[in-house]
Amino acid sequence: MSGLEVRGLEVHRAGFPIVTGIDLTVAPGRITVLLGPNGAGKTTLLEALSGRIPATTGTALLDGVDVLRLSRRARAKHGLAHVEQGRTVFGDLTVAENLLVAAGRGPIGPALEMFPELRRRTDVPARALSGGEQQMLVLARALLGRPRVLLIDEMSLGLAPVIVRRLLPAVRTLAEEGMAVLLVEQYAALALSVGSDAMVLFRGRIVLRDSAAELSRHSDRLHRAYLGANERQPRPGDLPIHTKEPM
Amino acid sequence: MAGLLAGGAYAMVGVCVVLLYQMTGVLNVAQAAIGAFGTMVMLQLLEQGWGFAIALPTGVLTAAALAALLGWAIARFYADSTAQVRTIVTVAVLVGLLAIGFRLFGNDPRTVPSLVPGAGFRLVDVVVSGNALIALVLAAAIAVGAGLLLNRSRLGVRLRAISERPVTAEMLGVSVTALAVGVWAVMGAVTAVAVTAVAPTRPSNFLSLSLLVMPAMAAALLGGLRHLGGAAVGGVLIGVIEGAGTSLRQFSEYRQVLPFLVVVAALLWLQRREVWDATR
Amino acid sequence: MRRVDLMRSPAIPLGALAAVVIPLVVTMGMSSYWIYLTTSATVTALLCLSVGVVFGRAGMAALCPMAFAAIGALVMALANHWRIDLPFPVLLVVAGFVALPVGVAIGLPALRLRGLNLAIVTLGFAVAVDVVTNSVGFPGAQTLDVIPRPEWATTDSDYFLMCWVVFVGASAALSWYGTQRGGAAWLAVRSSERATAATGLAVPRVKLTAFAVSAFLAGVAGALLAGQLGQLNATGFGSLQSLTIFTLAVMVGARHPEGAALGGMLAAFLPEVLRQVGLPQDLAAVVFAVGAVIGLRSGAGGAAADLRAAGRRLLGQRARPAVASGTTPSGQAVGTTTPGPTPEGAAQVSVPALDARNLSVGYGAVTALDDVSVEVRRGELHALIGPNGAGKSTFVDVVSGFVRPAAGTVTVAGRVSVDGQDSTSAPVHVRARAGLRRTFQHERTIGDLTVAGYLRLVAPLATPAEADALLDQFGCPPGDVLLSTVDVGRRRLVEVAGAVLSRPSVLLLDEPAAGLDAEESQRLGRLLAGLPATYGLGILLIEHDVEMVASISDRVTVLDFGKVIASGPAAQVLRDPVVLAAYVGEEVPA
Repeated sequence: MSGLEVRGLEVHRAGFPIVTGIDLTVAPGRITVLLGPNGAGKTTLLEALSGRIPATTGTALLDGVDVLRLSRRARAKHGLAHVEQGRTVFGDLTVAENLLVAAGRGPIGPALEMFPELRRRTDVPARALSGGEQQMLVLARALLGRPRVLLIDEMSLGLAPVIVRRLLPAVRTLAEEGMAVLLVEQYAALALSVGSDAMVLFRGRIVLRDSAAELSRHSDRLHRAYLGANERQPRPGDLPIHTKEPM
Repeated sequence: MAGLLAGGAYAMVGVCVVLLYQMTGVLNVAQAAIGAFGTMVMLQLLEQGWGFAIALPTGVLTAAALAALLGWAIARFYADSTAQVRTIVTVAVLVGLLAIGFRLFGNDPRTVPSLVPGAGFRLVDVVVSGNALIALVLAAAIAVGAGLLLNRSRLGVRLRAISERPVTAEMLGVSVTALAVGVWAVMGAVTAVAVTAVAPTRPSNFLSLSLLVMPAMAAALLGGLRHLGGAAVGGVLIGVIEGAGTSLRQFSEYRQVLPFLVVVAALLWLQRREVWDATR
Repeated sequence: MRRVDLMRSPAIPLGALAAVVIPLVVTMGMSSYWIYLTTSATVTALLCLSVGVVFGRAGMAALCPMAFAAIGALVMALANHWRIDLPFPVLLVVAGFVALPVGVAIGLPALRLRGLNLAIVTLGFAVAVDVVTNSVGFPGAQTLDVIPRPEWATTDSDYFLMCWVVFVGASAALSWYGTQRGGAAWLAVRSSERATAATGLAVPRVKLTAFAVSAFLAGVAGALLAGQLGQLNATGFGSLQSLTIFTLAVMVGARHPEGAALGGMLAAFLPEVLRQVGLPQDLAAVVFAVGAVIGLRSGAGGAAADLRAAGRRLLGQRARPAVASGTTPSGQAVGTTTPGPTPEGAAQVSVPALDARNLSVGYGAVTALDDVSVEVRRGELHALIGPNGAGKSTFVDVVSGFVRPAAGTVTVAGRVSVDGQDSTSAPVHVRARAGLRRTFQHERTIGDLTVAGYLRLVAPLATPAEADALLDQFGCPPGDVLLSTVDVGRRRLVEVAGAVLSRPSVLLLDEPAAGLDAEESQRLGRLLAGLPATYGLGILLIEHDVEMVASISDRVTVLDFGKVIASGPAAQVLRDPVVLAAYVGEEVPA
């Protein structure tokens, strides 16, 4: 299976750079975790890769083809799938129908095997599912296209950690079967527990790269990256957090 | 009963308006004009001696092609525009189409031959003409058929997905543009049939046929711009009330005011709760 | 330092020049046929101006300009038929004022719904008027009455001058109104209804004003047409004419008088040109259609907007660079630049500026907020933080009035008080007037306004001196810069400056530093820190930059999964391991 090689990716919105100088590799068979505080540009990065928004410059090679030059549909057909932030289910359609949209002419059974909980809810409109079930549905739907590269944007958003723990093994299984997974998360610990490689995005740039295991062990490095310490010049006598003098 | 034929036509075009609106977010003000264009093409062919068997399908296909072209242009060039901008594009297209139509077909009213001349039958003591029956049956078939297609077929599932989240559907491999253009084409064809069916009952020039979009939009509003069944029933209702008005001599000239009154009533009902345009 | 350079707005001298030169050229040099055409052009220009108000400025597609014109013409015909002997100008005004309430009445049904519904009702009205005028005819038609021109303007040349004066007067009045709050409000409603309401303006009233003015102008145009033609024919006021005028106005961008004038010229002279060239005259409508369709690709500004943009580029008004040259925003100019209300003493007031109690919001099965209580005192900077999806934006939306209960889908509970006054059921603009102002996560300034125009809209009671001082303090572009040429980060600053300028009791800032680099956001932070003391207001700040929050906040409330998990003095809350874990997404053992 092939992975995704991103070089020099920049995304501007209304003339303003959101994400700059992105070089990253999503290797097959591994989960690459992309962390960072909100507003860092993680979602923008994924949206540019999947084609939801246009990239300003850069390349993203999947199996030798620069997907940034392809239409959204062509990227999907070429093996790129994007699980968007906020659980973009088709609310008026049932679970089965949601899967049918992605299935083309094929069957939807294989998707239900991965998440047996959905099997009991096939005729329920997606709007009425719980957050966790919707997330399962969106994952299952993305898998029906048999992608080689899977981009997942903040799967854990608004879900209790216990539910997220139910979803992570599924993602791990996918990687073990050879898929290249880019997992974007705000919740570091859970993501790092399944990831192989990790990066931190801060204000549109990658400020930290390490193995997931290392980053889990040294959480202070992670905290500093989240607070932007890696970006600013250190000032003498710097404390990690300056608080206002109480009045 | 007068008005059933018109009602059937309004129902058909109204369903087309609702479907297109649900699918693409566009209120196609040029809908009836596109259908009327097909009707006029059919008339030209008939006048030149071609039979119905050739003329009618040619007219219908012309309308379908025109509609497909408009739908493609909107999807291609106005993909990022607001629904209002896209609707105004259809207004401009209507104006242009009317001018071209005047050039090609002139402005004189034509007599359009009935699809099913003569036939009629009596139901209790209401006379229903053959054409009215066809129009009603067609309207019902289209409303029901569209409902079935949308709700029970893979194609329909994809269409409903497109109307809800077109970009997500595209990223799942659905050919959004092709399907949208297909819907436009079918709607164009249906509208041509509807206009052709109702044209024999009124002085038909290109302008007056194009203005059939007004009772169709009133019908669509009676369905809340959402429900196909509501639009169909609404269309028939408008036709029947209009027909009743025609028989009262003093109101007959004002029957075209009716859609306006229906629209006002429907809007006042729809806006009982304040709605925030959430995207702005 | 920041005077309004005359070269930056050449519109006024150019317009004045045209207003004088054109009638001279016409009355001196043209034959009566061409004068007649020019009169038609002028009346059509007035009709385009009418569409320019309701669509070009206020963004509402009203497809029935000729129906309103028909009402104006009807007034003239009636006055003539009933032998009412009023001076012609008075009749013009009467015609306008008869059309005005009709415009308001047509706009009412679609007021609160999406714009497409207005298109339907106006088209229906156009068809209805078309039908009625065709059936009934205009009063006096059967007796072949001729509507007389005023005695001082019976010749074509004089009648043209009268029409020209009316058009120029209307253009000048509209241009002036555009610099006032009402005119800016139209542009605001077109751009964002939410933002407009959040500045204290009642959106329905702004829309109805646009309808009223538009109908008035069209009514006057119809009356002028009646005087020009003498005898009225229903075809001239039909639905096709309405649609064509509308399309023409879209093509030329009739928001501005030069666009309307262009529209008038095209309508009158293009068919002439076609005729001379041997082409059929109705193809003019095709030209308008194609022009409109092409123009709509770049938004709905039309040819005039493109011309203005080109003019701006010529005069060098481009997007401002990231760092304003020469003027460094003074982060420490707390209380030194702007005279303001004397601060009430740090947080001594008994009534909090904002008191949100037990707020709960549910969307269907999802609970967005669960029993959230937050209090913001005057003179305090209170930060609201939490991970993405925690409910911060929902909180700001429900407090400012944008989340309303809807049977079956949205449930809202709790109380909101501003300065002690219960605002729980008040609409958005009423809360804004009560002293609650907010900014938006996705910046919502009005691109069509200048910085100064936007500030006038948002804070009508502020003096220009106060506005300039605040712009300086925040490092915003100068007042005469058009907001659409400013980058997103600076537009956010203008949004915040405007909200501060309106002297609210409480200011809700939704991620004001998004789009600023590290240095700029530190500067903004220092600036925000000084505001509560200087202006005696309370600030509720939503931010992701924990470091900024730590250095400038007095109190911090932390949300997670819609619930408050910590609240108190900043130093204490931000050292709480529970809070840090929630923010970075670690789990704390129960």
